[in-house]
Amino acid sequence: MTINESIASVRKSFRADLDSFPSDLREVELLRSKYFGRKGLLAELYKQLADIPNKEKPKSGQAINALKIELKSEFDQKASLVSGDNQDEDEQSLDLSLPGFPITSGSIHPLQQTLDEIKSIFKSVGFKVAYGPEIEDDYHNFEALNFPKHHPARDMQDTFFVEEDVVLRTHTSNVQIHLMEEQEPPLRYIVPGRVYRNEAVSYKSYCLFHQIEGLFVDKNVSMADLKGILDYFVKRFFGEGIPMRFRPSFFPFTEPSAEVDIWDDKRGKWMEILGCGMVDPNVFDNVGYDSSIWHGYAFGMGIERMTMLKYGIDDIRLFYQNDIRFLEQF
Amino acid sequence: MRVSIPWLKTFVNIKQSTAELAETLTMLGLEADMPESASFSGIIVGKVLKADKHPNADRLSLCTVSDGSEEYQVVCGAPNVAADQLVPFAKVGAVLGDDFKIKKTKIRGEVSFGMICSERELGLSDEHEGIMVLNENAKIGSDFADYLSSNLDYLEIDLTPNRPDCMSHVGVAREISVKTGQKLKFTHAEKRHYKKNEVAEILSVNIEDKNLCPRYVAGVVKNITVGPSPDWMRNLLESADQRSINNIVDISNYVLLEMGHPTHIFDYNKVPSQTIGIRKAKKGESVTTLDEEKRTLADQLVITDGKKPIAIAGIMGGLDSAVMDTTSTVLIESAYFDPITIRRGAKSLGMSTEASKRFERGADPKGAEHAYWCVVELLEELAGGEWVPGIIDEYPKKISQNSIILTREKIDILSGCELSDTFVTDTLSHLEIDVKKDDKNKWTCIPPSFRPDLEREVDLIEECCRVYGYDKIHSSFHYGGLYDLAEVDPEDVLSIIANTVSGLGFRQCFLNSLTDEKTSGLMGNDSVAMKNPLSATLSHLRTSLFPGLLETVNYNIRNGNANVNLFEIGKEYNSGKEYSEVYHLTGAMHGEWINKSVHNDELQQSIHSLKGILEALFSRLNIYAVEFSKADHDHYDFGLNISLGKTVIGNFGKLKKEMLDDLDVDTDTIFGFDIELKSVTKEMGFVNKYIAIIPFPTVGRDMNFVLDQHIETGDVTKAMKNTNSKILISVKPVDIFQHESLGQNKKSVTFHLQFQSAVKTLEEAEINSAMNDITAIITKKFHAKLRD
Repeated sequence: MTINESIASVRKSFRADLDSFPSDLREVELLRSKYFGRKGLLAELYKQLADIPNKEKPKSGQAINALKIELKSEFDQKASLVSGDNQDEDEQSLDLSLPGFPITSGSIHPLQQTLDEIKSIFKSVGFKVAYGPEIEDDYHNFEALNFPKHHPARDMQDTFFVEEDVVLRTHTSNVQIHLMEEQEPPLRYIVPGRVYRNEAVSYKSYCLFHQIEGLFVDKNVSMADLKGILDYFVKRFFGEGIPMRFRPSFFPFTEPSAEVDIWDDKRGKWMEILGCGMVDPNVFDNVGYDSSIWHGYAFGMGIERMTMLKYGIDDIRLFYQNDIRFLEQF
Repeated sequence: MRVSIPWLKTFVNIKQSTAELAETLTMLGLEADMPESASFSGIIVGKVLKADKHPNADRLSLCTVSDGSEEYQVVCGAPNVAADQLVPFAKVGAVLGDDFKIKKTKIRGEVSFGMICSERELGLSDEHEGIMVLNENAKIGSDFADYLSSNLDYLEIDLTPNRPDCMSHVGVAREISVKTGQKLKFTHAEKRHYKKNEVAEILSVNIEDKNLCPRYVAGVVKNITVGPSPDWMRNLLESADQRSINNIVDISNYVLLEMGHPTHIFDYNKVPSQTIGIRKAKKGESVTTLDEEKRTLADQLVITDGKKPIAIAGIMGGLDSAVMDTTSTVLIESAYFDPITIRRGAKSLGMSTEASKRFERGADPKGAEHAYWCVVELLEELAGGEWVPGIIDEYPKKISQNSIILTREKIDILSGCELSDTFVTDTLSHLEIDVKKDDKNKWTCIPPSFRPDLEREVDLIEECCRVYGYDKIHSSFHYGGLYDLAEVDPEDVLSIIANTVSGLGFRQCFLNSLTDEKTSGLMGNDSVAMKNPLSATLSHLRTSLFPGLLETVNYNIRNGNANVNLFEIGKEYNSGKEYSEVYHLTGAMHGEWINKSVHNDELQQSIHSLKGILEALFSRLNIYAVEFSKADHDHYDFGLNISLGKTVIGNFGKLKKEMLDDLDVDTDTIFGFDIELKSVTKEMGFVNKYIAIIPFPTVGRDMNFVLDQHIETGDVTKAMKNTNSKILISVKPVDIFQHESLGQNKKSVTFHLQFQSAVKTLEEAEINSAMNDITAIITKKFHAKLRD
């Protein structure tokens, strides 16, 4: 028998077996080894290759390969129909519906997440990040920021005193003064940090919170630039399309001053998110910047407030209670 | 501050709705709010059909109230209830406040099916002397909340401290007029002429320090009759939440709320010295104020009768010199006091009055005179008084407004929007600023005396911008000073650490840095104390993150979380020579590290699970030089130090029960760690150079030694590593076996050793030789026996 005759004979025998394909799994396996096993008919064909002239070997080899592929595909197709239950014994006992191993998972506090997000938004437009002390002298926390002693503006921030002239900072704005004392303009910074207010603890106020301050000083800085950066921030943080308004206000260290509100659909009203303004010339005078040349803007926002608005949290105390049922949601 | 819309309308035309007006004022910088709708539900507008006397009680009425479809019998205790009134009616089932549910009740034998409400019951005001009567626009049966919002005739304004001028209806009306272009209809009371200054003969005023009292205006009105005020005045005052007292007191309050200037009216006959002195209080002096409190004075400014204090200047009048029903002659005071003096005085007395609030923010020095004439006019008109011709106007320190140069250049730079010359000139004039356009690019401006906040060019630019409308300013982006990014964020590393620790199964906490004195002392450091603490439990800054964290573990256990792994990255505060604020990473864990499941048994937290976590943490942070060593700590039953080189940077261990008891923590098994972060973050700054991977195979071998029980595997491991073998690359204990067959107090420890050469594939003989060396050293050093 030539090799081609052998190939034809195997094909013919396979067709016959295919016509009477067994319905029992074990017989299917027997049939599988009859053709594809180590001593099966296809293996026999490959053995015959040894006896044919070298010149013809490649062609015959290809013919056997083609046959193998043809038979295998037809066999597999038939075999798959024999039973849906064609897994081996190990696979049968594998219950994929079981829960996975109990891996303990941790979480990042929502305030940290907000802080990181806000920092990254401002870093992406060229703001550097600076920090400063929480235990601060009266000069840096108040006086240099144009809060004179015995001025009613001091009532805007109830203060913890450590000494007569040492306070727990009431805002991160103290770092504005440190930065400007240490560096020449221009500068562009954000300043995150913990601040304190001597206010009774309730759902809407806590004795401390976190702020992010922004300060930009350069030539020809305008209200429009301030509005631009805050527009950008609000869009990045709260999403496109959230209504924002910019309204006049008062802070001793900015003039003109403004507050920014965003529209809260859930509450059906404007919610204040931050205070801002153009750096007051008195502040520049206090740090020795020439206010006829340099202008700047500053803004400050509460991280708690941002987080509350973003996630619809209505009680600031939750952040400091650290109930796992709260933490695991973030 | 409450502003009455009817009162505002006497000064300016207002065509807007209350809500629109609130918006206009807010966008001008006077944050105006519609009052929060009070908490009630189910209240409707009812009509009183009949109000008869209750058969069994004189003071009660038996009413019939209709809701438009049905009629209800209601018992009412208010004196002002009458037939045909439209009233807020709470039917059975309505809720007042948080949880006061209206039920059917029997009052003195008569059944009442609901309640007619007063303003106080509805949470609208303190008015509780009678029921609230609604106007004729109220629709019977409609929701009372709808009536309220459409009939609201006042606004609450949250004023910023720079605007004392707006603590008055004229001031607020002026703002409206500037924005809407409606004319401001207000003129001051007319200044009177007199032939002879008669009042100077019966009154003298003596200012001791002109810096504390720059101006003092006074005068006398005779033959007044104290009685009720006319309705128009009562209504205006009440619409601004000011209760009417009598015509004299009302006049002073009226002038205050109308034009913002505080005045005081004394009973002239109670100042028999006919002398008014203004000076600082002397030590030990006291005065009983109108609220019948005896005030001990320190350095407040006082009004005296020449000798003793009769009032606290700018804060509150004295009781002894107050107007009474029998008063016939009054002395009018209308002054301008130094803001700082008034503020310090009021603060030290713990007082804040309508007068002090205005003086400390800066009253109008010219207003002192205007207010005087206004009071005189009203005393004549409403109290039948007879003015004693003349005025005493001591004005030793003239307060004047400086002129300000406003330039086109600065307007353009700061505003970032296009404000035309006409707009600037018109706006400033509307604000009653005296404006002169000097040349093309320059204005000279003198602000009015009631605007102490306008001192500099920027202040005027703010005025222009806010009237123009901040919302009309477009957004732009300033690219200056950008991309100087040499500095990295020094606290980025803290976020990296937080992410790493949370990746190891811990939840991050944020804890209060204020604590009580005892807790702040638990860790034995000098804490920073508040001079004015919020409460005894929040009086000191924390000196350790542990207490708060342990309390939080406890809180979570109590709330049903048996397995708790928490950490915080936060500051510890110490007072020493200098105040210090140092970042720490502190963690605490309790319960199971791995929970039981179908796949595995549970695994309790232990000192070793914690050690593994810390090893993983430092490895993830690429800090390989860290070492753990046993150390005693006051707060641990047993614990270890964490060191970098010679520096101890932290510690961990099992927390002592005593400490947990001190903090009222229920459990006694909490493991904790505490790491000072500065040394860690410094180490994170170093770049570890890459070490080439060795291509030759590693060979693993186990060695099993029988050791005395007390010998620590760590020492044996270290001794193995210290043998001179160049091919031993790692040693790890993998099994510990204890059995009496080993002998008393013995244990058998299996170590897994890995061998590898950097230059070739190892041969069996080399490994055996290294193992022989190790066996020799370990058996000798630890009296150990190699087990086969």
